[in-house]
Amino acid sequence: MTGRVIVITSGKGGVGKTTTSANIGTALAKDGYKVVLIDTDLGLRNLDLLLGLENRIVYTIVDVIEERCKLKQALVKDKKNPNLSLLAAAQTRDKTAVTAEQLKEICDTLKEENDFVLVDCPAGIEQGFQNAVAGASEAIVVTTPEMSAIRDADRIIGLLEAKEEITSYKLLLNRVRPSLIKSNDMMSVDDVVEILSCPLIGIIPEDTGIITSTNKGEPIVNDEDALAGKAYRNVALRILGEEVPFLDLDEPKGFMAKIKNAFSKLKAKV
Amino acid sequence: MEKGFTENGFIIDLSNAKNTTQLVFELSSIMEHPDVKGKRICLKLGNLDLKQSQLLSIKALIESMDASIAFIDTKSEQTEASAVSLGIVLSEISNDAAPSFVATTPVEEIKEEAVVVKEEGKVVEIQPETTNVNNSIETTDGVEDIYDEQTTQELSEIIPAENFSADFEALAVNEGILKNEDASKYILLDTGDVLPQGVEENSVNTESLPTLYINQTLRSGQTVTYEGNILIIGDAHPGSEIVATGDITVWGILGGIAHAGSMGNITAKVRALKLNAIQLRIAGLYARRNDTLNVPYVQKTNEFTPEEAQIEDGKIVIYKKLRRD
Repeated sequence: MTGRVIVITSGKGGVGKTTTSANIGTALAKDGYKVVLIDTDLGLRNLDLLLGLENRIVYTIVDVIEERCKLKQALVKDKKNPNLSLLAAAQTRDKTAVTAEQLKEICDTLKEENDFVLVDCPAGIEQGFQNAVAGASEAIVVTTPEMSAIRDADRIIGLLEAKEEITSYKLLLNRVRPSLIKSNDMMSVDDVVEILSCPLIGIIPEDTGIITSTNKGEPIVNDEDALAGKAYRNVALRILGEEVPFLDLDEPKGFMAKIKNAFSKLKAKV
Repeated sequence: MEKGFTENGFIIDLSNAKNTTQLVFELSSIMEHPDVKGKRICLKLGNLDLKQSQLLSIKALIESMDASIAFIDTKSEQTEASAVSLGIVLSEISNDAAPSFVATTPVEEIKEEAVVVKEEGKVVEIQPETTNVNNSIETTDGVEDIYDEQTTQELSEIIPAENFSADFEALAVNEGILKNEDASKYILLDTGDVLPQGVEENSVNTESLPTLYINQTLRSGQTVTYEGNILIIGDAHPGSEIVATGDITVWGILGGIAHAGSMGNITAKVRALKLNAIQLRIAGLYARRNDTLNVPYVQKTNEFTPEEAQIEDGKIVIYKKLRRD
């Protein structure tokens, strides 16, 4: 079997690359696919924390490259889902410890035995980015509806287009706040897609649950009720080729909500 | 009021108090007594519900008299929650058979009969300096003997078995070091043979090795490796790594990875004022912290119970150093 290698990148830091990697990986594994997550953020690793696997890491990607262990030994199995495993980054080294070729080799080996290899890319466009992209054939560009994040995403898309190996790239819009879009304080989803002219693969609403899930080391897709979790599950389904409509992120449309809306409009007029 | 003795302190029973005002009144009248000064007090609070602020003011009252709260015993859930949030130790005083000196409030009843101090692995009884009520000491030998018996008995009754009697035993056996019965704190990882090739298990006396002193905080991503013992004066944050062929001692909070006896020394130990390492490695044994304890950052407090990890029967075992106030 030959799995798909997808890199998750953004250019700008703090837009949710790692959160996205952890959640999409968990969602795909829950659907029964074999998934390996690779953290390539050497020296600033976080993916293990988000998955709650920090205490299980014995070998890292640098140990594999420097042949202190076998690739299999370095894969840390998820606590809940045996389909999901993590290849952690070394915390005590920096990006120069691996080269693009070495990472490509690892990706090539891993995709033979897995359905998906998700590569969590570090921020920036230097060596770390080049390494992460090397083995991938698909990319997900994470951005938020802010000018700075969009500018960086645009730069990244340009770099991805220049790479022959990357056959497709999709946009994931993170931390969307419908209420702000409504009041014209935030760029709308359509605006972002228009600026970047890039196909959309998901819209993730801003969710305070992300903070608690990060701190607990439990991806939010495991929370059936969370809206962000549902949005990530939908992204996973779209990766699998299913047509899933985008979530309606508008305010609840119950009877009471309608009345409240009417009142708030009245108030605004007064 | 009922009282009894623990190490250098005593129990004040306020469970009869009907409301907070009465409780504070009784307590303050007891606290006025000069003997209370500098003692550790065990409060018995009964069913009374105390808010955090109320408990805090009681604590302040006790501390204003140069005494401190050792632990409290309560039947109320609210008081329990307040105590937990204030960091006050909760314990149960089993007093069914304990000689009780029940009286309403008289302050005169407070007396020092014998102070029992835990010291160096044995229970030492120290005769009191002040005995204003009990004259038995000056009477015949026989009485004195009975009296001694009573106090020891009283001790064992009052000190809750699960907390103290086990401690005493361990204390006696281990000279002040107590084995951590909570074996689930660290779980061995199934790593197979992790020792580098050509390295064999050994048990070199680590005291004979040189020691590297480091006087700084180790931060995430920093590694210290040394052929010998490592002593860090400061914290080792999560994400840091300490690797020594001998012992590792952290005079602070150990939160990162610590690998003692990295060249196969199975007698090497890891010790820290607060042992919270994400992974503990000794020689070829790797153990991860239990997921239920996966709190990356520990709240800094003034109270630490130093812990020491070592290999015992192919497992990593943690010993707690008992506090001696």
